[in-house]
Amino acid sequence: MFNKVLIANRGEIALRILCACKELGLQTVAIYSQADRHSLHVRFADEAICIGPPALARSYLHIPAIVSAAEITGAGAIHPGYGLLSENAHFAEVCETRGIKFIGPPAEVVRMMGEKQKARAAMQRAGVGIIRGSEGIVENEGEALEWARSLGFPLLVKASAGGGGRGMRVVRDRFELPELFRQARAEAQAAFGNGDLYLEQFLPRPRHIEFQVLGDSYGNVASLGERECSIQRRHQKLIEESPSVKMTPELRATTGRQLEKTLGALGYVNAGTVEFLMNPEGALFFIEMNARIQVEHPITEMVTGVDLVKAQIRIAMGDRVESALRGPVRLHGHAMECRINAEHPQSFTPSAGMITAFSLPGGIGVRVDTAAYQGAVIPPHYDSLIAKLVVRGADRQEALSRMERALDMFIVGGIHTSIPLHRRILADPDFRCGNIHTEFMERFMPTSRKWVGEETPAAQPGVLPGSELFRLLRTDLLQNQ
Amino acid sequence: MNLKDLKDLIDFLLQRDIAEFELEHGEVKLRLKRTAAFQTPAPPTSEAAPLAVPGSPPRLQMAVSSPEATAAATATPEAEEAGMHIVRSPMVGTFYEAPSPGTPPCVKIGDTVNVGQLLCIVEAMKLMNEIESDAAGVIVKRYVENAQAVEYGQPLFAIRASRS
Repeated sequence: MFNKVLIANRGEIALRILCACKELGLQTVAIYSQADRHSLHVRFADEAICIGPPALARSYLHIPAIVSAAEITGAGAIHPGYGLLSENAHFAEVCETRGIKFIGPPAEVVRMMGEKQKARAAMQRAGVGIIRGSEGIVENEGEALEWARSLGFPLLVKASAGGGGRGMRVVRDRFELPELFRQARAEAQAAFGNGDLYLEQFLPRPRHIEFQVLGDSYGNVASLGERECSIQRRHQKLIEESPSVKMTPELRATTGRQLEKTLGALGYVNAGTVEFLMNPEGALFFIEMNARIQVEHPITEMVTGVDLVKAQIRIAMGDRVESALRGPVRLHGHAMECRINAEHPQSFTPSAGMITAFSLPGGIGVRVDTAAYQGAVIPPHYDSLIAKLVVRGADRQEALSRMERALDMFIVGGIHTSIPLHRRILADPDFRCGNIHTEFMERFMPTSRKWVGEETPAAQPGVLPGSELFRLLRTDLLQNQ
Repeated sequence: MNLKDLKDLIDFLLQRDIAEFELEHGEVKLRLKRTAAFQTPAPPTSEAAPLAVPGSPPRLQMAVSSPEATAAATATPEAEEAGMHIVRSPMVGTFYEAPSPGTPPCVKIGDTVNVGQLLCIVEAMKLMNEIESDAAGVIVKRYVENAQAVEYGQPLFAIRASRS
């Protein structure tokens, strides 16, 4: 049992964790880099420790500084949030050996899910459908070409230690495979320190469907329904919703039960998200599991009424899943989230600087998770997420109109934000009828460098600049990330 | 700002029942937050960092909660303005004045030190990290107590650098 939690993160998720801790009566320790001195989570924590200079490697990723901060403050637990060290098995191990409770799965489970190829193999053994691909790591271009004979093209080369689209290449034919294979390896090595690659068949225009799960340390796992996250740009999600228009109650129940059984047997503890791709026929294929709380967790909270972060903490304290959930899981209504980023809505260049005006929408069914405030300075060192605008309605139609009105009433001055982009997406006819897939965002991308920064034809919804040319350029865009 | 000004300020805040107060004056940042009883000199706990009022002994120590510790720890003491070099902690941990308990402190006020000379230990995760001086000169001030918790960037010593 612990009564003090160190929050090993920053920004909106650090504040989110702090909220849960406060409501549970736990003491909070905030850690921060010199760039985050005036952050809200630092302001509201019971104690705050500066752990380093702005650079991530010397602050939020610097394990000795974080563990040392926990030791000098006597924190009995660490919540890693998302990103940063949340899926770092070594960090989880260090906490375990020092008697600090890591609020997440055991280190060996974090490790297994972090090696994407191993996670695929484990799920396949358990009978969960996976995308056809290589069995194990592909050592070199020769082996890749061998696999390509049975898998066919287009193929996806993916980093086993990877995520976020890095170390990934779409290969259209055997001629471009060797070079793209090499590129993917180099990128994976640089980004993750591990150049291991595997192959998957490339599913055209899939929908991204993910299931939220919660497991306790007694082998029980509960599924909390799905989220659809098909609106992505370069593998960064922009809009998420729950439920998915393509999900049927039968598929939700079957998949949920299968995951509960499989993950229970694998010893999965605490919060996690199982990611799938759905083909046009509505079949689900496992791609990977994220062994942590996710950015978009609020939409599941809005449709189930479950406080997921509190549930994480309760499970870490030894609660069973059913008492952490406080009742059976039921989905009510429809929720949607827009990730508001500090970036130019057309060129996507990051926008750092001081927020001169900040007025949030409110009213029924609207929730904003943010650590930004008027007068705050967005530092250039970290990701550009400044707020999550989440709405819930009785159905998808109400969620849509509520999101539109909330976006209209969201004022941010002094920096660029993605709010105008979100408005355009919400106005898109395909989006409005749920006719979406992971390549949906292409219609909003500039086609060439000269469009960057200018008012482009893509500013009008539904207008595709030079659409045929654009289709030819599409795979180039994916490759040149 | 001198000691009398500070005391007058505190009295003023107490009278007016002000809960929280923040002031920036030159290089000094002051933040006072009233809890159940307004805390004045108290032995430093692991959360406290003494707010040094430079050039006016005795040092006024405020037992402050961490947001103030932030301000205190990162405030540039007036000593820096006076051309002195501040040695800051390069890590989070516990400050020890000597390499082991019972042995004399590495340095004391008035000592002349060279670049690279051992000044103190900061212990982090059971590892004793030797903190070496990054300036040559005379130790004129120490900002932390033995066995006090320190954060990244927290001032440890002021050195009046000697001309090379």
